[in-house]
Amino acid sequence: MAEKIGVYFDLANIGGGLDVQNLADEATKKWGDLIAVTKLVPELANAVSEIADDIAKEKLDGVLLCGASPRIDTELYRFPVQVDYVNLREQCVLSYKNPDGSPYIVADTAPKELQELALDYVQMGVAKLQKSNVPDSAAITTTPRILVIGGGWTGLTAAKEAASMGYEVILVEKKGELGGAVVNMPVVSPLGPMWDKKEESNLKFKIQAVTQDPKVTVYLNAVMEKLEGQPGEYVAHIATSEGTKTEAVGTVILATGWVPLDAKYLEPMGLGRSPKVVTAAEFGKMLVSGATIPARVAFVLDTTMAENAWKEKAEALAKEAEEAKPEEAGEATEAPFVKADLESMKHLQYSNAVNSVGMLRLANTVCEKTNDRSQAYILYKNMTVPGILERFYKKMQDRLGVMMTKADVTDIREVGDHMVVSCQNTLLGCDFDLDVDLVVLPTGLVPTTAKEVTVQFGYRQGPEFPDLELFDGFADSNYICFPYETRRTGVYAAGCVRQPLTLDACEVDAKGAVLKAVQCLEAAGHGVAVHPRALDNSYPVFNFVRCTQCKRCTEECPFGALDDDEKGTPKPNPARCRRCGTCFGACPERVISFANYNIDQIGSMIRQVRVPADFKKEGPRILILACENDAYPALDMAGMRRRTWSPFCRVIPVRCLGSVNAIWISDAMSKGFDGVMLLGCKYGDDYQCHFVKGSEICNRRMQNIAETLDRLGVQPERVEQLEVAIDEYDKVPDLIDGFVTRIVALGPNPFKGM
Amino acid sequence: MAQCTLKPDIDFTRKLTLAGGDSLKKCYQCATCAVACPLAPANAPYPRKEMVWASWGLKDKLTSDVDIWLCHNCGNCSDLCPRGANPADVMSAARNVVYQDLTAPKCVGSLMSKPSGLPILFGIPAILWFIVWWIRSLYNDGNWFPVRPDGHIVFGDIFYGDYTIDPIFMLTFFGALFILCRGAYKLWQSFKPDGAVAVIGEKGCWLCHLWHVLVDEVIFATRFDDCHDGPKTGKVTQTRRVGHTVLVWAFVTLAFVTAVVALGHWGGKIFPIIEITTPLHPMHLVKIIANVGALMLVVGLILLTIRRIAENSETHKSNYYDWYLLGIIWAVALTGIFSQVFRLAEAVGPAFLVYYLHLVFVWMLFAYLPWSKLGHLFYRTVALLYVRMYGRKG
Repeated sequence: MAEKIGVYFDLANIGGGLDVQNLADEATKKWGDLIAVTKLVPELANAVSEIADDIAKEKLDGVLLCGASPRIDTELYRFPVQVDYVNLREQCVLSYKNPDGSPYIVADTAPKELQELALDYVQMGVAKLQKSNVPDSAAITTTPRILVIGGGWTGLTAAKEAASMGYEVILVEKKGELGGAVVNMPVVSPLGPMWDKKEESNLKFKIQAVTQDPKVTVYLNAVMEKLEGQPGEYVAHIATSEGTKTEAVGTVILATGWVPLDAKYLEPMGLGRSPKVVTAAEFGKMLVSGATIPARVAFVLDTTMAENAWKEKAEALAKEAEEAKPEEAGEATEAPFVKADLESMKHLQYSNAVNSVGMLRLANTVCEKTNDRSQAYILYKNMTVPGILERFYKKMQDRLGVMMTKADVTDIREVGDHMVVSCQNTLLGCDFDLDVDLVVLPTGLVPTTAKEVTVQFGYRQGPEFPDLELFDGFADSNYICFPYETRRTGVYAAGCVRQPLTLDACEVDAKGAVLKAVQCLEAAGHGVAVHPRALDNSYPVFNFVRCTQCKRCTEECPFGALDDDEKGTPKPNPARCRRCGTCFGACPERVISFANYNIDQIGSMIRQVRVPADFKKEGPRILILACENDAYPALDMAGMRRRTWSPFCRVIPVRCLGSVNAIWISDAMSKGFDGVMLLGCKYGDDYQCHFVKGSEICNRRMQNIAETLDRLGVQPERVEQLEVAIDEYDKVPDLIDGFVTRIVALGPNPFKGM
Repeated sequence: MAQCTLKPDIDFTRKLTLAGGDSLKKCYQCATCAVACPLAPANAPYPRKEMVWASWGLKDKLTSDVDIWLCHNCGNCSDLCPRGANPADVMSAARNVVYQDLTAPKCVGSLMSKPSGLPILFGIPAILWFIVWWIRSLYNDGNWFPVRPDGHIVFGDIFYGDYTIDPIFMLTFFGALFILCRGAYKLWQSFKPDGAVAVIGEKGCWLCHLWHVLVDEVIFATRFDDCHDGPKTGKVTQTRRVGHTVLVWAFVTLAFVTAVVALGHWGGKIFPIIEITTPLHPMHLVKIIANVGALMLVVGLILLTIRRIAENSETHKSNYYDWYLLGIIWAVALTGIFSQVFRLAEAVGPAFLVYYLHLVFVWMLFAYLPWSKLGHLFYRTVALLYVRMYGRKG
């Protein structure tokens, strides 16, 4: 609880004709002794030492900075007390337009609506600070040891990397030898500059470097039995041939790699029907074993044939399933965990880039080994070569016998002593048949996580990563923004378990994941969050006295941070927590809070808004709860670009829409707000939510909220959830104005003035 | 489209790389070249397809492709190629392979394709003319370097026109012409697609079309301007129009004086009034024209040689066929001029020797024409005529 607050107005960043002195006076009048210092400074950035002096002299425990967006110059204002901001620039003056919709031409005296908007924001800011505390430390003593699951190319790289950073490493390998898939690949695509040559994998050196490192302990023939605890103090139970070993570890790197796609998927292309059809992986082994290289080899990258055959099969199956629909089972409680097999044809398509690089390498090798007596045809649909490996592509194709064309491969059949590959839509200007002696098909890389439970979490939410089906089994959670992240804090995926990758990319991946794992380990030691609220030292605190053990928080936490005891009382694991607040958004009893972000705090802010009784004369009031990750920056950007929206809106940033508790909406409605807009990230299969599930969960709760509102006699249309991406600053003003128009059409909130 | 069985031939690809297309494997089929080409029509673009045919070693497709002849080798495609595949060089190589294989005896084509064939190619006329020289020396009392009593040198004393030069060259010329015509006919047949072709463009008799082709190509060489006005490549491309036109007109001039002299000589036997006797006086009108022609030849050669040397070798390489043709013309021009100079200077030894070499080189120029780059004179004309007959401009 801030009890002595200093309020500073940054005149250089406010403008718009606002009567700043009036804002200061009104705030002081309202809050009395709470506000110990009020100052109008010509330029806030120049007043940093003055503020520091005030903090020391007046013993301030909170500073409220009114001016630019909290996202601007934050690093300048690091004071030993709580700091908060009032955004009077981007989301007040710059985005203001007159109530009639006409643009505001800056005058010496701001219009009444703008002055009122600014005052509301100042009062809300003071209320927020008043209800905010400095969190106690959640720091734990961590185990400086990293568990690497999987001893293939990625796992070995990660183990070496982590050890060289000074951490102990436990390396768990399922097989009896290290090396994984690379065991069968003595020559591989480029691993480094100049990125244009085939290279020896030199696997044995990589293995040596790991096995000879005193910091690394290797368990062969071992799998995970259980992982319990939280980042920094995990306990790993490893099943080995000598029984279960228990190791304390800090964080985990998942590098369990891939298994080849089942041959049945390529059967429509002749695999298994003729010995003259093999996969790239098998052909690689043939080359290694020194088998005779045929004169004509077709590398078929276009797998449309198999895809179509399987699509038909899937449709037939779906139809069958439709007909034989099982009886609707009753509400099953606690269904036992069953690992779904997520292997599918899609894995072949996802592996196209790896296969493109691989087939270029193999085709080149064919010509090299036969001194250009053999001809290698590459028939591709998409020749996809990632990034700098374009250099490799150039080098590999520059060989007499490598002949390439884009083609739709329509048929592969055995005729006499050879195979015939039929192609259409080729670059050669004709459809053709090609006589070949061997057909090489691509290898599908199926992540191990699609097939089996790799980590075996001892979590309340189950042993497996949630929602793997969204990623077709790949261990991923936020593909674009947060690579290596899984849905389990402290467990970072790298290599082909995350995405089909070439070996050079696997190395980069391994190193990236190690950095993440180290960061997480250190963050747990300091009791702070990892991304996206990096360094946040708050964490959810439970008031168990009022807890009804409904388990909603445990179930809804996107990261499985909460375990529970037999009675269902939640057991928080702060180091697993990413501080989104989804738990307190879920809690019907409001027993969960963060020291600096809680139900009461936002509720108090809502209550600070002056809601005029006369809807007609003074306009409606709309509350916007905006996700601070994407929606709030989008609003800032809109303001910076002078896009404006209705002056009747009041924006409150929230950590995630998942943290929106229904009580805030009731608060707003009873305060007399005419509408509440929830502005958050896109959700669904292609979600952009930083906390993965927040906006989706919010959307699910909207139904309950609508029912509640209906019961109260308030139209459910008064609350809407809208999606916005961070780059949609040009759309967001229209989104807001559209909502305001709909609310105006609905008329005033029936509770107004009560 | 009809399903055909493809016969990719790595040996043909190898042949192309040896004939100047060593960059062909670098192509990744983006078709920048086909867009860059200022000559390729939008509805029948090249050289993208030629690149993939070359890569696959599709001999039939490439050698029966009319488009390789329509290319005038400006090199815009090579300058703009993002992969350094130099399509212009590959097109040139494709033409070279056609010169090599189109007509029998193919062993000549094979000898013409590499510098190591030069000794034999040179040796044949060298021996031929040496024998002539030897036989004729017997008529001059064993004197290999006869001088007239007045001190003048008359080449005819050794290389007597009526019985030596004229029959040998006529045989050579018409033999070469016959082989060229046969090649042109083969080419024409190979251009024709299977089945009937609907002509959409302008129709006309083949003579009109031929006339237009000659006007565009020979008289004004406007194609080179089209080439030069192609897309901006960021590189300076010197126009070949002046050099090429001067050279062509030099040849036309020299052919004209040769014809006049031949007519005067042989016709003079029937109509004494038009008789011309060689050597001509330096101020004789025909001689003046001949010397102007020789001068033009040298000017054209200098321009074209400078251009080839100055060319950016990264994207435009001159291949052996290019240098052979330039070289042989240089040899013809220089030996021609110097034999006249030595003759007038009455330096009897050098005069006969150089004149002998002149005959050797001229014979090489004509006899090997169907397998040399000069064959484009015929084959390109045939291709241009063909596309015009089918409604295209080029």
